[in-house]
Amino acid sequence: MPSSSMNRRTFVKGGLAASALGALAACGKKSDGGGAASEGGEAAGTAATGGVVKYYLSNPVAIDPYNAQETQGMQVTQALFDSLTDFDWDSGELVPRAAESWEVSDDAKVFTFHLVEGAKFHNGDPVDAASFKRGWERICDPTMATPSVIAYHLNPIKGAEAMQKGKAKEIEGVKVIDDLTLEVTLTEPMAEFPYICTHDALAPVPQAALDDPEAFAHAPIGNGPFMMQGEWVADQYIDLVRFDDYYGEPAKIDEIYFSIQKDPETAFREFEAGNIDFTDIPAGRIQELESKVGTSDDGYTVTPGKQVLKGEEAGVYWLTVNVKDDVLSDLTLRQAISLAINRQNIVDTVFEGTRKPATSVFPTTIDDDPSDVWEFCKYDKEAAIKLLDEKYPADSKGKRGIKLTLSYNSGGGHENIMSCIQGDLEAVGIECTQESMEWAAYLSAMGDGTVQIGRMGWNADFPIMDNFIYPNFLTTSENNYSKYSSKELDKGLVEARKIVDEEERKAAYRKLNQIIAEDMPVIPLMYYAHNHVGSERLASLYNNPQTKTDFETVEMA
Amino acid sequence: MIKYIAKRIVQFIPVFLGVTLILFVLQNVVPGDPIKLIAGEKKLDPQTEISLRASYHLIETDENGEAILDENGNTIETPLWKRYIQYIVGLLQGDLGRSYQQNGKPVADILAEKYPYTIRLALLAIIIESIIGIAAGMISAIKRYSAWDIGVTTVTSALVAMPAFWFGMLQQLFWGIFLKNVTDGAFYLPISGAGGPHAEFQAWAYYLLPAFTLAAVSTAYTARIMRSQLLEVLGQDYIRTARAKGLSRKAVIFRHALKNALIPVVTYIGMDFGGMLAGAILTETVFNWPGVGFETYRAITSRDWPVVLGSVTVIVVVVMIINLVVDVSYAFLDPRIRFDGSKSE
Repeated sequence: MPSSSMNRRTFVKGGLAASALGALAACGKKSDGGGAASEGGEAAGTAATGGVVKYYLSNPVAIDPYNAQETQGMQVTQALFDSLTDFDWDSGELVPRAAESWEVSDDAKVFTFHLVEGAKFHNGDPVDAASFKRGWERICDPTMATPSVIAYHLNPIKGAEAMQKGKAKEIEGVKVIDDLTLEVTLTEPMAEFPYICTHDALAPVPQAALDDPEAFAHAPIGNGPFMMQGEWVADQYIDLVRFDDYYGEPAKIDEIYFSIQKDPETAFREFEAGNIDFTDIPAGRIQELESKVGTSDDGYTVTPGKQVLKGEEAGVYWLTVNVKDDVLSDLTLRQAISLAINRQNIVDTVFEGTRKPATSVFPTTIDDDPSDVWEFCKYDKEAAIKLLDEKYPADSKGKRGIKLTLSYNSGGGHENIMSCIQGDLEAVGIECTQESMEWAAYLSAMGDGTVQIGRMGWNADFPIMDNFIYPNFLTTSENNYSKYSSKELDKGLVEARKIVDEEERKAAYRKLNQIIAEDMPVIPLMYYAHNHVGSERLASLYNNPQTKTDFETVEMA
Repeated sequence: MIKYIAKRIVQFIPVFLGVTLILFVLQNVVPGDPIKLIAGEKKLDPQTEISLRASYHLIETDENGEAILDENGNTIETPLWKRYIQYIVGLLQGDLGRSYQQNGKPVADILAEKYPYTIRLALLAIIIESIIGIAAGMISAIKRYSAWDIGVTTVTSALVAMPAFWFGMLQQLFWGIFLKNVTDGAFYLPISGAGGPHAEFQAWAYYLLPAFTLAAVSTAYTARIMRSQLLEVLGQDYIRTARAKGLSRKAVIFRHALKNALIPVVTYIGMDFGGMLAGAILTETVFNWPGVGFETYRAITSRDWPVVLGSVTVIVVVVMIINLVVDVSYAFLDPRIRFDGSKSE
């Protein structure tokens, strides 16, 4: 039959074309057993399992502790550097890191850290108390070519602000007692200061960081379990190898290859092609992936066959309500809005049920006390209507004469959330319009106080309750976008920071939480949750609620 | 000719000053404070903000680099015109300034890192576009209404209608994932990036998919322009004359028709090349290509004005040069076009 012969010919042609391209692809391919494999072989002597983990990263802002601020860059920083302390999420306790022990004075103002002996930087320099002082002063030094933007972490230390203002050449409150002893004096008591010391910004740096800051920013020399292999290649990759002179338990893998990707969708395709081991899950793919590669038991650890992570993070998504706004200064209205929002519906429809509705400003990873919830932070449409009826009676069309604008930054998928909220509010008679702005414009508007209701997220810098309250609700805090001011809270914060006993302190912060709950300067919506997937090549990978992967415990299959 | 080129180069200056001036004014009009944005979601503390503004010369400073305060203790903003003059003076000395982000990395370094990738990708795409586009358009015109013609017209319509990023994704799914699975890992192509320490392929293999994707739409346009131009020229009297005097079909097409039909095609390809050198945001995003387009886009969204200004400056110069080259090339395609200004035709 002519038609079938035609088909066969087309088929042969097509096959030829495909194999020609295939041959092209094959000759573009490097031969196996190249440089990387032999390097792996050399290092294998000390490794338990070895191997390379290929890790997706969106473009980091900085990998040097000097500007360590966002999760992407800190993923790299924490593999390169060890700060004084570390937080163990399993036990919920602070554990030693570069400092083997520490003492606090009775007034919670003076802290003495004892460093681990024999620790070294990747270039062989010793990690001593002076290297911490150097690291901290570098951040506060206004004469650096580009001043650091994260000096505020050090503000509790006596003299840190004076140095930032150029009034002092060093931080008065940081004293080197001897090589292995560092003494830190604070301006105000703060019993939780050692938690601040978990932050990567407070890592020690060798002299090289001051000699050539430019080079150090692209290839930092740290004291952590991994060291840089070459420089950070912007927009492409960062390559880390195990540091064999590490003072602690050596890492099990040989290498971390951070693949920097512009688009998480591309990263996910690379994951599907088998080229990336750990990545984010694009919207709408979670359920499909869960049925294919299984869900992690604890939500944080990837093991073969249980590869999707959905654990709750130490972050909260809320609506910032401008309490100085003519309409929104009414507390009843704020309470009614909070009651009218169906949070479960948002997490189910927009996030496939991975996130959890918020009941307070504290994520449950920070405080799991079930009694510490906000009274009005729940969905109760009837109660909302009842509250509104008293003050804002509805007209014949069900409208109450309240008009609100919901603002958000474009490009983050927030429009879906805002549409849900708009629907919920209109269902109780509050008229809403949406307004989206570019991130830059949005931040300016939020700062200027021209936004009525806007979205904001807060991720823990340090895993303590203070970090959720102090930066956001203190009258003078920089991030207080609600323009909220409560004398009771401001005073309570100062007192709470003084309490050395942990349980007593937690109780104090829960009380402060209730003050905010009564005033509702924000309306908590949901807690962030992991949305990651690992490959079947990973024997074990733990990613904590602060979205940091514990690289020294990662094992390859 | 030389006089013409010199005249055109002199014309660069006002265009260039105009473009940079517009961008400079825009800095003050577009909402969003670049310095506040450096700290991401967290707000900058006031002291750091002052230090940063001083280090970028956005506020008046004394000789020690310390901010000068007015009687109310506020910083004094450097006026726009002063900053513009500073910028132009710096530019003449080859200094494009420092990025507000990326630890204050010099803009020249950023562009030097990214431009080679953009240029190589653009060159490859233009080669693909020229060869395939012109060839397909010619075949289509010469064998008008044949299966070839219908094929070319259909494929080009489809390509023109297809968004670049979607076409790119399809390619990634086919060459990187489908083919790898079907051949059990024997044949496939790299789907993103430009190599690195764990590159499985030679460096050139990483150019294949982005270059074909970048060239796709332009190739389709080139083919369509080529087809219509050639058809028009082939209908002219002088072509019939050439045939009548006994020249072969091949000679007529290549020696007489092609040259005349090429002028609009060359204009299009030239303009397209200029556009590609400005970077291709979508292609660069999908294929994670470390080019200058995404960098410019990122700089605009984060109000990183020095980088925006730097890349626009370079783009303006490059586009003006390419336009000049295209204009000059007309003279070789059509001897009637002269630039010496004495007498044309």
